[in-house]
Amino acid sequence: MRGLEKMTRRAVVAGAAGLAVAGSAGGAFAQDTGPVRIGLIYSKQGPGASIGEYLQRGSQLAVEQAGGKVLGRPIELTWLDEPNPQVSQQNMQRLIDENKVVAVVGGNYSSSALAMMSVAAREKIPLILPGAAASEITGKNCNRYTFRTQATVPVQMRGLMPYVAELGKKVYFLTPSYAFGQDILRSSRALLKENGLTEVGVDEVPVNTADYSSYILKIRQARPDVLIGGLVGGDFSNFLKQWNEMGMKDRIPYAAVAVTDTDFWDVGPQASTGIFIKPWYYNNPKNTEAEKKMIADFQKKYNQPPSDKTWSGWIAMRALLESIEAAKSTESKAIVTALENWKNTDGEQSFFFRDWDHQLVRPAVIVRVKKQITDKFDYMDFIKDTSATEEETKKAFGTKEEIGCSMPPL
Amino acid sequence: MLDILVSQIANGFVLGFIYVLIAVGLSITFGLLGVINFAHGAFFALGAYVGWQLFQLFGWPAVILAPPIVGLIGMAVEVTLIRRLYGKEPLLSLIVTFALALLIEAAIRYVWGADGKPFNPPPFLAGIVEIGPLLITKYRVAVLGATTATLLGLWAFLAWTPYGRILRAGSRDPEMVELLGINLPRVLTAVFGLGCALAAIAGVLAAPLWTVSPSMAANAVMPAFVVVAIGGLGSFRGAVVAGLAVGVVMSLTIQFKAEAAAASMYALMFAIMLLRPRGLFGERWERFE
Repeated sequence: MRGLEKMTRRAVVAGAAGLAVAGSAGGAFAQDTGPVRIGLIYSKQGPGASIGEYLQRGSQLAVEQAGGKVLGRPIELTWLDEPNPQVSQQNMQRLIDENKVVAVVGGNYSSSALAMMSVAAREKIPLILPGAAASEITGKNCNRYTFRTQATVPVQMRGLMPYVAELGKKVYFLTPSYAFGQDILRSSRALLKENGLTEVGVDEVPVNTADYSSYILKIRQARPDVLIGGLVGGDFSNFLKQWNEMGMKDRIPYAAVAVTDTDFWDVGPQASTGIFIKPWYYNNPKNTEAEKKMIADFQKKYNQPPSDKTWSGWIAMRALLESIEAAKSTESKAIVTALENWKNTDGEQSFFFRDWDHQLVRPAVIVRVKKQITDKFDYMDFIKDTSATEEETKKAFGTKEEIGCSMPPL
Repeated sequence: MLDILVSQIANGFVLGFIYVLIAVGLSITFGLLGVINFAHGAFFALGAYVGWQLFQLFGWPAVILAPPIVGLIGMAVEVTLIRRLYGKEPLLSLIVTFALALLIEAAIRYVWGADGKPFNPPPFLAGIVEIGPLLITKYRVAVLGATTATLLGLWAFLAWTPYGRILRAGSRDPEMVELLGINLPRVLTAVFGLGCALAAIAGVLAAPLWTVSPSMAANAVMPAFVVVAIGGLGSFRGAVVAGLAVGVVMSLTIQFKAEAAAASMYALMFAIMLLRPRGLFGERWERFE
């Protein structure tokens, strides 16, 4: 009896172990035929929440336009938060460990992006950043599994500076005190001389500053011809509002890079002003057919036009889905190779991820806030692209030596 | 140089007064109920949103109704949730009110969306005032006036009305107050509502200065906590002195060393805490020690 009991117990244990093995094998098997899981990391709360929402809507729209399928298998999206670098990094890990994603699209802030990239490289999971403009992401910190769609700060500054020079000679910098802001300072200082500009002041503002009145008093005292900024999201909206409140809107022009439409929609026409570089604008006559379709689909779904963040989330997801199709596999190395060979030929200038630093080589747009804003969403006039031809664009993004990325082998 | 310093100090005063208004509500809730309300900032944001909504529907005069509305919401929250925290472990109230803050922020996002809402000073308060070297915007002068009036009214209410006496007595010795035949639970509901209404006043006043977005409170509430810590928990006078000190110190730090602006108020708090661990005017309260 005892022996039998012993036997049974052993059998049960063996059976359980067998089941466990079968289960895990089944899991691996499911990943080849079941849904294709893709992670999203965008802000859900805090000052970046509205940016996060537009990014997510863009990525979601790309999935819907693909019929919700890739390689004939349904796509399953999991969206986690991007509240700060630490948690964004943990969320990246969670998507990989718990959700078993094949790739991640996300990362709007340079600081979070840098944290998430290291996980992408370690776990060998492709990551496409739709935002995050700091140079080092595709420069000295570059890695084989990270791709970035937004133009780098130096590229954007080079597009902006000639317009700054038209406005006057003396510039004042108001930049956020982290990687992105320091990058703005570094790259614009390098361009001051060739544009005939001089620096009359600089303030590096701590992130999440609510009140800018003291800064504005200081800028007013310094009497610059132009203010070059780099504040982001809620901070930028707060600044614009107080800049207007303190009667500075029509006194000193404001110029900045990497802004987004919601920064302006959030404060309204009365406080909006300036000249800006952004990745995309919905009311740009040069938008491609595919982009026009995206705008129409967005308008239909949300009853308003998309912001440039929607475009960024959309193009990043499109690049990923098209690359998975091209690779005919969800295996990470195959996806990376396909992304390196991906090319978009929708518009006048084709664009692609440069294989040696994974930067999307594509011009940004220069826009100016309209004098009279009459529409609820159309605040900008498109001026021109930061570069006119493919050759110029390639040149603007810098040479291998300037970028300083040494890409490890796959 | 003197010009700019005068303007910076005046500006710091206005900013400080907004922090005082947020801090006083926080301080009252703590002083009288013993609850550190992490959701205070959420009521601040709610005040701004209700104010914006009233403005959209009925124009400027209606905005004045925002604080009482938020006060009523606060009272409802007290009856359903906060009441259960009295006399419990302080950690419990921290966790519950923190969750409440997240809940309210999510509710705001659900009702009004994640985007900010454009909200500017009323036309008659637009523009700036220059008196000699002093430069300040009309709206900020109005904020200063409204805040001072609110604080004076509150002080007079607490110091001189019978209701104020009940509140102060109830905070020290609740059993005795109940023995005297006063319905303390109802009083405490009103106190929590008052704290929330004060947060809403600050929210409404700040709405034309700071972007109205679901998380707008995050950047404003931290200074308020610092103000409460410096002034002494539960001290009205302390909150006023500390608020002004924080405002002026921050303005001057921005003038001379902007990178250190965010750290300056914490440095001030650190220095005061070392010298006076209960804050500037913090008293020894037998109930919490």
